[in-house]
Amino acid sequence: MKAFVKYLLVQFKMDVREKGTLLTYYIIPLVFYLVMGAVFSSINPATKETLAASMTIFAITMGAVLGLPGPIVKIREAGVLRAYRVNGIPNGAVLLVQGVSAFLHLLLVSIMIFLSAPLLFSAGLPGNYGAYFIVLLVFIFTSIALGLIIGVIANGQGIATMLSQAVFLPSLLLSGIMFPASMLPGFLRSVGAVFPATQAMHSFTGIAFNVSHGCDGNLALIIMALIGTIVLCIAIWRFAAIGSDA
Amino acid sequence: MAGAEVLVKGLVKKYGNLTAVNEISFAVQKGEVFGLLGPNGAGKTTTLECLEAIRKPDNGQMRIAGYDPHTDVRDIRKKLGVQLQSSSLPDSMRTDEAMALVCAWHGRGMRLDLLIRFGLEASLKKQYHTLSTGQRRRLHLALALAHDPEVIILDEPTAGLDVQGRAQLHDAIRELKTSGVTVLLATHDMAEAEALCDRLAILIQGKIAVIGTPAQVTATGSSDTRILIRTLNGILLPGYDIGSARFIRESEGYGEWVSSDAAASLTEILRKVQLAGDVVEDLRVQRPSLEERFLELIKGGC
Repeated sequence: MKAFVKYLLVQFKMDVREKGTLLTYYIIPLVFYLVMGAVFSSINPATKETLAASMTIFAITMGAVLGLPGPIVKIREAGVLRAYRVNGIPNGAVLLVQGVSAFLHLLLVSIMIFLSAPLLFSAGLPGNYGAYFIVLLVFIFTSIALGLIIGVIANGQGIATMLSQAVFLPSLLLSGIMFPASMLPGFLRSVGAVFPATQAMHSFTGIAFNVSHGCDGNLALIIMALIGTIVLCIAIWRFAAIGSDA
Repeated sequence: MAGAEVLVKGLVKKYGNLTAVNEISFAVQKGEVFGLLGPNGAGKTTTLECLEAIRKPDNGQMRIAGYDPHTDVRDIRKKLGVQLQSSSLPDSMRTDEAMALVCAWHGRGMRLDLLIRFGLEASLKKQYHTLSTGQRRRLHLALALAHDPEVIILDEPTAGLDVQGRAQLHDAIRELKTSGVTVLLATHDMAEAEALCDRLAILIQGKIAVIGTPAQVTATGSSDTRILIRTLNGILLPGYDIGSARFIRESEGYGEWVSSDAAASLTEILRKVQLAGDVVEDLRVQRPSLEERFLELIKGGC
């Protein structure tokens, strides 16, 4: 446990030193939040109600899906995993530390948005704080699971970028964080339902902000947790296989 | 082979239809520096990776300090240190962080002494991507020694190093030997193998072509000794066979002969010079080198 905590601390510090990680975890999401927060709240004041949730979904999706896979691919390809392994650091710990470190960064950026949105943009506060943070934690978990599996299965940075974009862009456009999902055609709404960002939006609005959009927030939370658990299990299984004869 | 610190018996490793390592066996005694030599693709790294449990062998037995690398993984990690041929650390990881991390996973306190020993004290706060090749190699060696292993595997540790870096690493390997650590060293550098190894094996196409001390390995090839002589008046040139010495070539005033009976040939050559009233300016007698034996083996295909 001591070794794991040590590794986590080192990883967290390394993340802060990495410009790429800083950009995808903090700088771009926060700049986007500041700009879009101002735009949304002036164009459509109704969006203020769930602004913290929608901007949090954006930040987490960006950090986990665009920021996490690259370093994992690099760890695999550059021989870092082999170096760790021969020095006694198991593959499982490497994957877990990457995930937990990303979790902490994304939790931090989420809290920044949650605390500043009401002050900066008069954003609405959740009716149920407990539900808000449960949805937040489950969404971070599921998004990280997605980021991990992309990093584990992608053969090269190019493929990782492509897979990340294939998840990120539909999450952005179909989940209802940029504009109400009710404006989308039925087909696209169905496609959007497979993305955790959509389920997160349903959960936040349904059980944290108590705004009814005709979706069951609890069901969305369960679906999101299931997606995360299944995806994480596959990622762990695939990552363990990397070390078996590689 | 009984009581060997490292034991490899009938090791086979295939990649599809290619047999990279074919029934090789060797044993390394405690405190010995054992070299694995061979051209690219000979199976050196594959053999070492099977020992490091990075690759699973198709057949054969292996033991390191009495443990099977593939079934006794936890025990092996306590006994074995590894410096891989190609490995890396995260770009933004600092030297001291790398050591602290590896020490933590071995349940040890920080080994600052190792970083100092390998000349990295000025680079403690440097990030990995800013280290030179030599510094990286020394860092990986220091990490491999963090838990005071009984056996260390070094896969081409001096590749890409300058002369100074190479000398430092050679000194480190000698120190390890002195402290009783068993060293398995894969290298392309014949001079390095000759200088450091107690025994060595030359691998060709996945098989051990020859094994023994550097002197024994050298002696298994052509036993001809080379005699080079330059005289004041060049009385021996243009060259010709003298007794059992066969004339090879003339170069820069030197005549060059090879002989299987160096003493007799040398006596005969010097007698000819003396009888002709000439004076020897330079005389060189060269035994066949390990490199020559190595090239001979590669040429013969084993």
